Amino acid sequence: MADINRTIHELLVDYSGALRDGSIPVFLKSLTGEEGQKIGSSREFWDGTEVVRMLNSAGFADKAVLPNVSLFISRVDAEIASRLKRARAPSRGRGGADAKPVSKTKKTERPI
Amino acid sequence: MDRRLRKALKGLMDPDLEHRRRTMDLFVRATFEIFIRVLYRYLGNEVECEDVLEDVYADIWEKPDRLRDVNNERELLRTVYLYYMRRRLREVYRRMNRNLHLSQEGLKRLVAPELGIAEMLSQSELQQTLRRLLNRLKARERRAIELWMEGMSIRAIANELKTTVGAVKMLKFRTILKLKKELRNYNRED
Repeated sequence: MADINRTIHELLVDYSGALRDGSIPVFLKSLTGEEGQKIGSSREFWDGTEVVRMLNSAGFADKAVLPNVSLFISRVDAEIASRLKRARAPSRGRGGADAKPVSKTKKTERPI
Repeated sequence: MDRRLRKALKGLMDPDLEHRRRTMDLFVRATFEIFIRVLYRYLGNEVECEDVLEDVYADIWEKPDRLRDVNNERELLRTVYLYYMRRRLREVYRRMNRNLHLSQEGLKRLVAPELGIAEMLSQSELQQTLRRLLNRLKARERRAIELWMEGMSIRAIANELKTTVGAVKMLKFRTILKLKKELRNYNRED
Protein backbone atom coordinates (compact mmCIF):
# COMPACT_ATOMS: atom_id res chain seq x y z
CA MET A 1 0.00 0.00 0.00
CA ALA A 2 3.00 2.27 -0.40
CA ASP A 3 2.06 3.53 -3.87
CA ILE A 4 0.77 7.03 -4.21
CA ASN A 5 -2.10 7.89 -6.51
CA ARG A 6 -3.25 4.36 -6.97
CA THR A 7 -5.82 3.62 -9.61
CA ILE A 8 -9.28 2.35 -8.70
CA HIS A 9 -8.38 -1.23 -9.46
CA GLU A 10 -5.32 -1.03 -7.22
CA LEU A 11 -7.38 0.59 -4.47
CA LEU A 12 -9.99 -2.16 -4.61
CA VAL A 13 -7.33 -4.84 -4.48
CA ASP A 14 -5.69 -3.10 -1.52
CA TYR A 15 -9.06 -2.75 0.23
CA SER A 16 -9.77 -6.45 -0.25
CA GLY A 17 -6.34 -7.32 1.12
CA ALA A 18 -6.87 -5.05 4.12
CA LEU A 19 -10.27 -6.57 4.84
CA ARG A 20 -8.88 -10.07 4.57
CA ASP A 21 -5.98 -9.27 6.87
CA GLY A 22 -8.07 -7.27 9.35
CA SER A 23 -6.11 -4.10 8.71
CA ILE A 24 -8.73 -1.65 7.47
CA PRO A 25 -7.27 1.23 9.56
CA VAL A 26 -3.97 0.86 7.70
CA PHE A 27 -5.80 1.02 4.39
CA LEU A 28 -7.76 4.11 5.46
CA LYS A 29 -4.61 5.83 6.66
CA SER A 30 -2.85 5.05 3.40
CA LEU A 31 -5.40 6.96 1.32
CA THR A 32 -4.28 10.28 -0.12
CA GLY A 33 -6.75 13.11 -0.68
CA GLU A 34 -6.88 12.38 -4.38
CA GLU A 35 -7.47 8.68 -3.80
CA GLY A 36 -10.20 9.48 -1.29
CA GLN A 37 -11.97 11.59 -3.92
CA LYS A 38 -11.44 8.91 -6.54
CA ILE A 39 -13.05 6.30 -4.31
CA GLY A 40 -15.91 8.64 -3.49
CA SER A 41 -16.90 9.02 -7.11
CA SER A 42 -16.21 5.51 -8.39
CA ARG A 43 -19.19 3.26 -8.88
CA GLU A 44 -16.89 0.38 -9.77
CA PHE A 45 -15.21 0.60 -6.40
CA TRP A 46 -18.49 0.43 -4.48
CA ASP A 47 -19.77 -2.40 -6.65
CA GLY A 48 -16.57 -4.26 -5.94
CA THR A 49 -16.69 -3.80 -2.17
CA GLU A 50 -19.88 -5.84 -1.86
CA VAL A 51 -18.28 -8.79 -3.62
CA VAL A 52 -15.11 -8.37 -1.58
CA ARG A 53 -17.15 -8.59 1.63
CA MET A 54 -18.80 -11.75 0.35
CA LEU A 55 -15.45 -13.29 -0.53
CA ASN A 56 -14.07 -12.32 2.84
CA SER A 57 -17.01 -13.86 4.61
CA ALA A 58 -17.08 -17.07 2.58
CA GLY A 59 -13.33 -17.53 2.66
CA PHE A 60 -12.35 -16.49 6.12
CA ALA A 61 -15.25 -15.91 8.50
CA ASP A 62 -15.53 -19.63 9.19
CA LYS A 63 -11.82 -19.81 9.99
CA ALA A 64 -11.93 -16.89 12.41
CA VAL A 65 -10.97 -17.88 15.93
CA LEU A 66 -14.05 -17.26 18.00
CA PRO A 67 -13.85 -16.62 21.71
CA ASN A 68 -15.37 -18.83 24.36
CA VAL A 69 -19.10 -17.99 24.42
CA SER A 70 -19.39 -18.20 28.20
CA LEU A 71 -16.59 -15.70 28.63
CA PHE A 72 -18.16 -13.46 26.03
CA ILE A 73 -21.54 -13.66 27.82
CA SER A 74 -19.89 -12.42 31.00
CA ARG A 75 -18.54 -9.45 29.04
CA VAL A 76 -22.02 -8.66 27.72
CA ASP A 77 -23.45 -9.03 31.21
CA ALA A 78 -20.85 -6.63 32.62
CA GLU A 79 -21.75 -4.08 29.95
CA ILE A 80 -25.45 -4.47 30.75
CA ALA A 81 -24.73 -4.13 34.48
CA SER A 82 -22.85 -0.93 33.85
CA ARG A 83 -25.71 0.46 31.78
CA LEU A 84 -28.19 -0.54 34.48
CA LYS A 85 -26.06 1.20 37.08
CA ARG A 86 -25.90 4.33 34.95
CA ALA A 87 -29.66 4.28 34.42
CA ARG A 88 -30.35 3.88 38.13
CA ALA A 89 -27.85 6.45 39.31
CA PRO A 90 -29.50 9.68 40.50
CA SER A 91 -29.05 12.47 38.01
CA ARG A 92 -26.55 15.10 39.00
CA GLY A 93 -27.96 17.81 36.84
CA ARG A 94 -27.20 21.38 37.76
CA GLY A 95 -29.82 22.72 40.17
CA GLY A 96 -31.55 19.34 40.55
CA ALA A 97 -33.71 18.85 43.61
CA ASP A 98 -31.49 16.07 44.98
CA ALA A 99 -28.24 17.83 44.29
CA LYS A 100 -26.32 18.84 47.36
CA PRO A 101 -23.97 21.70 46.73
CA VAL A 102 -20.51 21.02 48.09
CA SER A 103 -19.34 24.07 49.86
CA LYS A 104 -15.61 24.65 50.07
CA THR A 105 -16.09 26.85 53.08
CA LYS A 106 -17.02 23.82 55.19
CA LYS A 107 -13.35 22.94 55.51
CA THR A 108 -12.52 26.34 56.88
CA GLU A 109 -15.35 26.15 59.38
CA ARG A 110 -13.78 23.29 61.27
CA PRO A 111 -12.78 24.20 64.81
CA ILE A 112 -9.06 24.71 65.10
CA MET B 1 -36.67 -20.98 13.83
CA ASP B 2 -34.76 -22.83 16.50
CA ARG B 3 -36.88 -23.35 19.63
CA ARG B 4 -34.10 -22.01 21.85
CA LEU B 5 -33.92 -18.83 19.81
CA ARG B 6 -37.70 -18.40 19.81
CA LYS B 7 -37.73 -18.71 23.60
CA ALA B 8 -34.90 -16.20 23.91
CA LEU B 9 -36.67 -13.70 21.67
CA LYS B 10 -39.84 -14.05 23.74
CA GLY B 11 -37.86 -13.43 26.91
CA LEU B 12 -36.28 -10.33 25.41
CA MET B 13 -39.69 -8.71 25.08
CA ASP B 14 -40.24 -8.79 28.84
CA PRO B 15 -40.56 -5.25 30.22
CA ASP B 16 -38.52 -6.18 33.29
CA LEU B 17 -34.88 -5.23 32.69
CA GLU B 18 -33.51 -7.88 35.07
CA HIS B 19 -35.49 -10.63 33.39
CA ARG B 20 -34.22 -9.45 30.02
CA ARG B 21 -30.70 -9.49 31.38
CA ARG B 22 -31.07 -13.14 32.39
CA THR B 23 -32.52 -13.99 28.98
CA MET B 24 -29.49 -12.50 27.24
CA ASP B 25 -27.50 -15.60 28.17
CA LEU B 26 -29.81 -17.76 26.07
CA PHE B 27 -30.02 -15.23 23.28
CA VAL B 28 -26.24 -14.80 23.01
CA ARG B 29 -25.71 -18.56 22.95
CA ALA B 30 -28.27 -18.95 20.16
CA THR B 31 -27.00 -16.11 17.97
CA PHE B 32 -23.34 -15.48 18.74
CA GLU B 33 -21.84 -17.43 15.84
CA ILE B 34 -24.29 -16.03 13.29
CA PHE B 35 -23.74 -12.43 14.33
CA ILE B 36 -19.98 -12.55 14.69
CA ARG B 37 -19.57 -13.97 11.19
CA VAL B 38 -21.71 -11.19 9.75
CA LEU B 39 -19.56 -8.60 11.52
CA TYR B 40 -16.47 -10.32 10.20
CA ARG B 41 -17.58 -9.42 6.67
CA TYR B 42 -16.96 -5.78 7.53
CA LEU B 43 -14.13 -5.87 9.99
CA GLY B 44 -12.02 -8.93 9.16
CA ASN B 45 -10.68 -8.83 12.69
CA GLU B 46 -11.94 -11.01 15.54
CA VAL B 47 -11.06 -8.63 18.37
CA GLU B 48 -12.87 -5.72 16.75
CA CYS B 49 -15.85 -8.01 16.04
CA GLU B 50 -16.13 -8.96 19.71
CA ASP B 51 -16.04 -5.35 20.85
CA VAL B 52 -18.76 -4.32 18.42
CA LEU B 53 -20.90 -7.34 19.20
CA GLU B 54 -20.73 -6.66 22.93
CA ASP B 55 -22.28 -3.24 22.31
CA VAL B 56 -24.80 -4.70 19.88
CA TYR B 57 -26.08 -7.17 22.49
CA ALA B 58 -26.26 -4.49 25.15
CA ASP B 59 -28.24 -2.29 22.72
CA ILE B 60 -30.61 -5.17 22.04
CA TRP B 61 -31.09 -5.66 25.77
CA GLU B 62 -31.83 -1.96 26.20
CA LYS B 63 -34.21 -1.58 23.25
CA PRO B 64 -35.38 -4.95 21.95
CA ASP B 65 -38.60 -3.66 20.32
CA ARG B 66 -37.29 -4.01 16.79
CA LEU B 67 -37.11 -7.76 17.25
CA ARG B 68 -40.76 -8.10 18.25
CA ASP B 69 -42.04 -9.29 14.87
CA VAL B 70 -39.09 -11.41 13.84
CA ASN B 71 -40.27 -14.81 12.58
CA ASN B 72 -37.19 -16.51 11.20
CA GLU B 73 -33.42 -16.43 11.25
CA ARG B 74 -33.11 -14.41 8.06
CA GLU B 75 -35.42 -11.71 9.41
CA LEU B 76 -33.48 -11.69 12.64
CA LEU B 77 -30.20 -11.20 10.83
CA ARG B 78 -31.61 -8.45 8.65
CA THR B 79 -33.21 -6.61 11.59
CA VAL B 80 -30.16 -6.86 13.81
CA TYR B 81 -27.92 -5.69 10.98
CA LEU B 82 -30.15 -2.75 10.05
CA TYR B 83 -31.05 -1.47 13.50
CA TYR B 84 -28.23 -2.50 15.78
CA MET B 85 -25.04 -3.50 13.96
CA ARG B 86 -24.88 -0.85 11.28
CA ARG B 87 -24.83 2.04 13.73
CA ARG B 88 -22.05 0.46 15.76
CA LEU B 89 -20.04 -0.38 12.66
CA ARG B 90 -20.26 3.19 11.47
CA GLU B 91 -19.01 4.40 14.83
CA VAL B 92 -15.98 2.13 14.61
CA TYR B 93 -15.14 3.27 11.11
CA ARG B 94 -15.74 6.93 11.92
CA ARG B 95 -13.25 6.58 14.75
CA MET B 96 -10.74 4.94 12.43
CA ASN B 97 -11.22 7.56 9.77
CA ARG B 98 -10.59 10.59 11.97
CA ASN B 99 -8.35 13.08 10.15
CA LEU B 100 -8.17 10.90 7.07
CA HIS B 101 -8.96 11.64 3.47
CA LEU B 102 -12.08 9.60 2.87
CA SER B 103 -15.31 11.58 3.15
CA GLN B 104 -17.80 10.56 5.82
CA GLU B 105 -20.23 9.62 3.07
CA GLY B 106 -17.60 7.42 1.45
CA LEU B 107 -16.89 5.89 4.81
CA LYS B 108 -20.53 5.05 5.40
CA ARG B 109 -20.65 3.22 2.11
CA LEU B 110 -17.42 1.41 2.81
CA VAL B 111 -18.47 0.00 6.12
CA ALA B 112 -22.18 -0.38 6.18
CA PRO B 113 -24.03 0.35 2.99
CA GLU B 114 -27.72 -0.10 2.50
CA LEU B 115 -28.86 -3.64 2.74
CA GLY B 116 -27.27 -5.49 -0.19
CA ILE B 117 -27.53 -9.07 -1.34
CA ALA B 118 -24.64 -10.10 0.86
CA GLU B 119 -26.39 -8.81 3.97
CA MET B 120 -29.54 -10.77 3.20
CA LEU B 121 -27.84 -14.15 3.09
CA SER B 122 -26.91 -16.41 5.95
CA GLN B 123 -23.37 -17.79 6.06
CA SER B 124 -24.31 -21.10 4.43
CA GLU B 125 -26.46 -19.43 1.74
CA LEU B 126 -23.62 -17.04 1.01
CA GLN B 127 -21.14 -19.84 0.54
CA GLN B 128 -23.51 -21.72 -1.70
CA THR B 129 -24.19 -18.62 -3.81
CA LEU B 130 -20.52 -17.83 -4.14
CA ARG B 131 -19.68 -21.39 -5.18
CA ARG B 132 -22.23 -21.15 -7.99
CA LEU B 133 -20.95 -17.75 -9.04
CA LEU B 134 -17.35 -18.93 -9.11
CA ASN B 135 -18.36 -21.79 -11.40
CA ARG B 136 -19.50 -19.25 -13.96
CA LEU B 137 -16.02 -17.72 -14.23
CA LYS B 138 -13.22 -18.63 -16.61
CA ALA B 139 -10.65 -21.05 -15.18
CA ARG B 140 -7.92 -18.43 -14.74
CA GLU B 141 -10.28 -15.94 -13.09
CA ARG B 142 -11.60 -18.58 -10.71
CA ARG B 143 -8.07 -19.73 -9.88
CA ALA B 144 -6.98 -16.17 -9.02
CA ILE B 145 -9.93 -15.71 -6.67
CA GLU B 146 -9.54 -19.13 -5.09
CA LEU B 147 -5.84 -18.57 -4.43
CA TRP B 148 -6.65 -15.23 -2.86
CA MET B 149 -9.28 -16.88 -0.68
CA GLU B 150 -6.71 -19.42 0.43
CA GLY B 151 -4.79 -16.50 1.90
CA MET B 152 -2.12 -15.98 -0.78
CA SER B 153 -0.62 -12.56 -1.39
CA ILE B 154 -0.91 -10.91 -4.81
CA ARG B 155 2.78 -11.59 -5.43
CA ALA B 156 2.37 -15.28 -4.59
CA ILE B 157 -0.64 -15.49 -6.91
CA ALA B 158 1.41 -13.83 -9.67
CA ASN B 159 4.12 -16.48 -9.20
CA GLU B 160 1.54 -19.25 -9.26
CA LEU B 161 -0.13 -17.92 -12.42
CA LYS B 162 3.24 -17.06 -13.97
CA THR B 163 2.41 -13.42 -14.54
CA THR B 164 3.12 -9.99 -13.05
CA VAL B 165 1.74 -8.41 -9.89
CA GLY B 166 0.07 -5.67 -11.96
CA ALA B 167 -1.63 -8.23 -14.19
CA VAL B 168 -2.98 -10.12 -11.16
CA LYS B 169 -4.34 -6.90 -9.67
CA MET B 170 -6.13 -6.10 -12.91
CA LEU B 171 -7.39 -9.67 -13.26
CA LYS B 172 -8.72 -9.63 -9.73
CA PHE B 173 -10.41 -6.27 -10.20
CA ARG B 174 -12.11 -7.39 -13.41
CA THR B 175 -13.15 -10.67 -11.87
CA ILE B 176 -14.66 -8.94 -8.85
CA LEU B 177 -16.72 -6.70 -11.13
CA LYS B 178 -17.74 -9.71 -13.17
CA LEU B 179 -18.84 -11.46 -9.98
CA LYS B 180 -20.89 -8.43 -9.06
CA LYS B 181 -22.64 -8.56 -12.43
CA GLU B 182 -23.24 -12.29 -12.05
CA LEU B 183 -24.56 -11.67 -8.55
CA ARG B 184 -27.16 -9.25 -9.91
CA ASN B 185 -28.20 -11.75 -12.58
CA TYR B 186 -28.24 -14.57 -10.06
CA ASN B 187 -30.49 -12.57 -7.80
CA ARG B 188 -32.91 -11.94 -10.67
CA GLU B 189 -32.91 -15.63 -11.63
CA ASP B 190 -33.63 -16.57 -8.04
